[in-house]
Amino acid sequence: MLRKDFDEILSGELISLTGGLFTGFMLTFATNKLDLIPALFILFPGFMEMRGNISGSLASRIASGLYVGVMKHKLERRKIIIGNVIAAFLLVTTISLFLGMLAYYVGLDFFGIDAPNIIMISLVAGLISNAIEIPLTLTTTLSIFKRGHDPNNIMGPYVTSTGDIISVFSLLIAIAVIA
Amino acid sequence: MTEKPRKKHRITAQECNSVVCMRRPEHTPTIFQLHKKKKISYKTLFYMKEYGPRSHVTSVIMRESIKILLMASLLSSIGGMHIKTVQDDLIRLLPLLILMPALTTMIGSFGTIVSSKFTTMLFLGKVKGKWWQYKEVHELVFTILFIALICVFYIAPLAYFIAFLKGFTFSYAAFFKVVGLAMVTTFLLILMLLMISVAGSFYIFKKKEDPNNFMIPITTSVADLGSLFIMTNLIVVFF
Repeated sequence: MLRKDFDEILSGELISLTGGLFTGFMLTFATNKLDLIPALFILFPGFMEMRGNISGSLASRIASGLYVGVMKHKLERRKIIIGNVIAAFLLVTTISLFLGMLAYYVGLDFFGIDAPNIIMISLVAGLISNAIEIPLTLTTTLSIFKRGHDPNNIMGPYVTSTGDIISVFSLLIAIAVIA
Repeated sequence: MTEKPRKKHRITAQECNSVVCMRRPEHTPTIFQLHKKKKISYKTLFYMKEYGPRSHVTSVIMRESIKILLMASLLSSIGGMHIKTVQDDLIRLLPLLILMPALTTMIGSFGTIVSSKFTTMLFLGKVKGKWWQYKEVHELVFTILFIALICVFYIAPLAYFIAFLKGFTFSYAAFFKVVGLAMVTTFLLILMLLMISVAGSFYIFKKKEDPNNFMIPITTSVADLGSLFIMTNLIVVFF
């Protein structure tokens, strides 16, 4: 039992750590831009955590629905999946806007940085990450279940890793577009 | 004596309504009774309540998630404020910039694992009373600490190697400082998380609530905020 726990935890951790390192590696390509947008470091941790939290819950809810069997019925399946996708989309948009505003006001009040473009960067990055992460989470959860695996065991590290990478990727694109 | 095969129960509209329309405080005892009487699984009953025919899926998810997500965002932004204070060091010291996302992710996952494992032990009755005397708790602590050690020796040198490939100058002093920083941050936080999740889970379980619902968000937030806070302070001390 101890050996099984050790193997499962270690393999899951190594997968998500590799994703985390790749995220850090992507950040190194933008060190000059990170310096140019002063409030970005305030936004950064919240933005990364948000992506993992929302996609993790989405995967978990879809997995529960599949196990419980409520997604066997066509109408039910459509209703629950569409409801989940819309909720995830609205949550990311709302929280991105909130994080952007928070980064702006914290930057202004505590560091004297007046950079309103951080709100736009956060919102646009949220929308880009939505467009990639939500379909990716949904299709991966469904295909893992279809192949006879438990999405609960796999989707945790998967969503954390892809969420981190996609968050940074979206932020970099938003910076390139707006800044 | 062989066990009788379970009869498949077709749920009636009345039973469906009794679950869907009830108020939250009445929910758990009724689910228990229905599960016992009709042999319908807890998961199905829970799902009927949350996302059944009469509920609006999007509204339910939004209503239940938004508060905790806003709270988590607020906490993370406090972490972001700490990073801002060492922004110049992070941009200058590439290995730390590469290490930061991986380190926060790792410590957050350990928080979730410890909380959920200890909660399962409590539910299975493997741990009662003086939890610090149980073999299972010792095994969990040593397993987590040992895995953390392996993970630190995986990410810290690899982060330095990636930084080296990106043109960061190699020096033994900086290398050992990066490994040391990762190790101190990880072990301080894991010990803190072990104490918080074990004591907190035990307390919540004694209050007859499910520790999973409380301890996982708490430990994840403590891990995220704590890792950024300790790491930024150590950067000031080490570099």
